[in-house]
Amino acid sequence: MSFLPEPEEEADVATLAIFKKNLGFVPRIFRAQMARPGLVESQAKLIDTLLFAKGALTRIQKEFILLGVSGANNNSYFPVAHSKALEFLGVKAQQSEQVAIDHRQANLSEPDTALLDFARKLTLQPNGISIADVDQLRKADFTDEQILEAVLMTGLTNLLNSVQLGLGVEPDFKPRVTFPLKEVNPEIGSERPMLERPLAEESVSADPDAEFVARVKAGDTDAFEELVRRHGRRVYRSLIGLLGNAEEAEDALQDAFLKAFQHLPEFEGRARFSTWLVRIALNTGLQRLRGRKDFETLDDDSEEFRPRRIQAWQDNPEDLYSREELKRLVETEVMKLPSKYRVALMLRDLEELSTEEAANVLGLTIPGLKARVLRGRLMLRESMVVYFAKSGAGVNS
Amino acid sequence: MISCQDFITELGSLLDNDVAVEIREQLETHLAHCNTCQVLYDSTRKTLRIVTDSGSFEYAGPIEEPLVNKIMDRIRSGCELPPPPTSK
Repeated sequence: MSFLPEPEEEADVATLAIFKKNLGFVPRIFRAQMARPGLVESQAKLIDTLLFAKGALTRIQKEFILLGVSGANNNSYFPVAHSKALEFLGVKAQQSEQVAIDHRQANLSEPDTALLDFARKLTLQPNGISIADVDQLRKADFTDEQILEAVLMTGLTNLLNSVQLGLGVEPDFKPRVTFPLKEVNPEIGSERPMLERPLAEESVSADPDAEFVARVKAGDTDAFEELVRRHGRRVYRSLIGLLGNAEEAEDALQDAFLKAFQHLPEFEGRARFSTWLVRIALNTGLQRLRGRKDFETLDDDSEEFRPRRIQAWQDNPEDLYSREELKRLVETEVMKLPSKYRVALMLRDLEELSTEEAANVLGLTIPGLKARVLRGRLMLRESMVVYFAKSGAGVNS
Repeated sequence: MISCQDFITELGSLLDNDVAVEIREQLETHLAHCNTCQVLYDSTRKTLRIVTDSGSFEYAGPIEEPLVNKIMDRIRSGCELPPPPTSK
């Protein structure tokens, strides 16, 4: 499925055969663009010339760039599809996945590691690329032709990543793994695109914190205190919901502000400061959650959840309790949810992140995130039946 | 005609108003004939409304002064972040 309708028939665009021949199937990303077959044809020709045809880089090197760049963008679609293609080229799925997650832990040769370092940097810090980065590739014995192909492959992958996200194209195959959240690391800077992605409705130009952010960046540390006062409550809310423990939430709140202060020089104002800050806080909270020994894994699962208590609710259930009682009731029941469902529900329904943002924060695919949010909502509904159901209505179990 | 399990699978998208027109029509047709899914849809929708309107997990009052001071003291002293906690 995607945001635009896909045609039932795909055979009428001859160039789609290029994908069948080289990948063994026609990826959904191209079927989703059939409103303009000519554009699909152009992309197919570029992909054929750059990726599939024999060039200066090997096909596997080019596929690795595609995986590494997609991983840097937290994009699961292409690693899923191209891990399959790489299996035909003799690369094990585990290694392909590792290239997407962290190519430096993927057992690559030194030249291929340098190649992926370059591609990721070009993706995450495009303004930071200099002749020194190109010289690093030359030192690793890459020719100018190969460097050119590396640049083009990186650009092509970023284009394809944008097209897939923009059209909401779901994976062609069920992912074996989803990408874990990468912690804030200024050396790699891999979170910056996600952390600084503005919310759809927000106007960055009118960021009310811009003045204080600029003052802190100019060396006025005291100006940060105003930012702590302005956003402390909001950050605390994000953290208490994730961690469920006031003491731990306060510790995490301190760490989140400290991280924000330390990374402020990298904040480029592409999102509002508050959006960026809350994402740092969520990362901080998730890092703590993952460190708990009783933490249920955030890995995907597929078992079905079947609602059992089917009982009609009161017309206006909110009227049965005071606002304070409702607040406490929701907090109690949300905290009883298994953390993987609670976290997904918190991000969507209390933090009001978009599906894509929440999926990015958790390193999940969009369908994976949606499934968890739904599960969380259904489990919460189940636990609340006892408070809000009409008396005398039957219960199925 | 879609099944109850199909309906549950699409319920999240329906609640988020993120469902294609033709699928919405199928879901609504199912709802018109299935009392169980009607109850499930209505009660989940109300759950969502209660959760989003409850003001849960909000910090009561402004952030406390000692906490602001702690944060600023750590920043001014050039404090390093602690290593991430690990399970024992």
